[in-house]
Amino acid sequence: MLKMIKHFIQQSWLLIVASFFFGLLIAATNYALSERIEQNKVEKFNRLTAALLAEAKPELAAELEIDSLSGKGQSVKVYKVVTKKGECIGWSFKADGPGFADKIELVVTVDKGFERIAGFDVLASNETPGFGDKIKDDYYRRQFKGAPSDVLELVKTGKPERSDSEIVAITGATVSSEAVVKIINNSLLQIKKQMLEKGLISNDK
Amino acid sequence: MINKGDTKAGLYKDTLIAGLWRENPVFRLLLGMCPTLAVTAAVKPALTMGLSVIFVLVCSNIVVSLMRNLLKPHLRILMFTLTIATFVTIADLFLKAFVPRMSETLGPYVPLIIVNCIIICRAETCASKNTLGVSIIDALGMGVGFTLTLCVLAGVRELLSTGKIFEVQIMPSVFVPWAAMGMPVGAFLTLGLLLGLVNMITSRKT
Repeated sequence: MLKMIKHFIQQSWLLIVASFFFGLLIAATNYALSERIEQNKVEKFNRLTAALLAEAKPELAAELEIDSLSGKGQSVKVYKVVTKKGECIGWSFKADGPGFADKIELVVTVDKGFERIAGFDVLASNETPGFGDKIKDDYYRRQFKGAPSDVLELVKTGKPERSDSEIVAITGATVSSEAVVKIINNSLLQIKKQMLEKGLISNDK
Repeated sequence: MINKGDTKAGLYKDTLIAGLWRENPVFRLLLGMCPTLAVTAAVKPALTMGLSVIFVLVCSNIVVSLMRNLLKPHLRILMFTLTIATFVTIADLFLKAFVPRMSETLGPYVPLIIVNCIIICRAETCASKNTLGVSIIDALGMGVGFTLTLCVLAGVRELLSTGKIFEVQIMPSVFVPWAAMGMPVGAFLTLGLLLGLVNMITSRKT
């Protein structure tokens, strides 16, 4: 037994020591850069929100607790999008869930009354180039513009130019298309419900 | 593989030239085809990819060369991959922090440097058998050779698919851009033609 352990250590000590030091190196780099990477993400979120909802600035309005797609609790920051004159024109929040290859992070914007989706954009994803990453393309994203903020449904064939709850999937990328719809459905409905409960938005038109 | 020069300087020079031309990783060894085809639609991402590969290649060659006498033969590939993965992760973090948009354009191809054949090949054939100096020179030669090749390929493709290079209009206004050159088919066509051209030049020399 002791002989075996000795043999094991003799063979693999370099691997163990190197793993430790490499791990340390990565941890140090991550520690040094994580703040900057986070900052870049915030900037991108603001930029995408502004692009989706006419040059306006998002302001933090509420922090909600929702169930993520994996069933765990997750906190979501909902931003109120206001124009320079101080008028609220919509809401923006981050939504994420599993995609085909990696986690997909989206920016979703809705109108003032949470009635229609103003649009979404991809904050971060690692979908297959040429297939899954077409979720970033106008053809697919356009379909969400003006869609009711209700349960969206993915269909294989249909009219992509209509703004309704039917989203036409991308050929060759059904999993990625479905992931986006699932992510939006999951967060949108929960956030809408909680926003109504909190009185941040009202049901009457 | 490497012609032993008479002097140390001769050896270094030989090693450097090998990576740039005689053993150019893309044109002569046909290694690292995945990034070569995937990120050469424009010069900027190709250059970023090339510089990342140089960084990873130099760092991994240094580490592998330093521990070459400690390596157990059956665990060596594992050690190479571990070393390469570490430096790729660091390069990926740096790109995300300082050039976020470029990092997005390159997407999964940055983490994929881990399995880039050029780096494993250099660790196996050069760094694990040679001194630190030779390993560094070899990494620089191979890395710069790879970067230049990517840039040439990307230059041809960007010029033909958009008429611009680095967002500067080069082609006259009558030029009709070939959209196909920016797509995967353009990558295969350009690579094939350039490989043929290089073969033609080298066969004439000998």
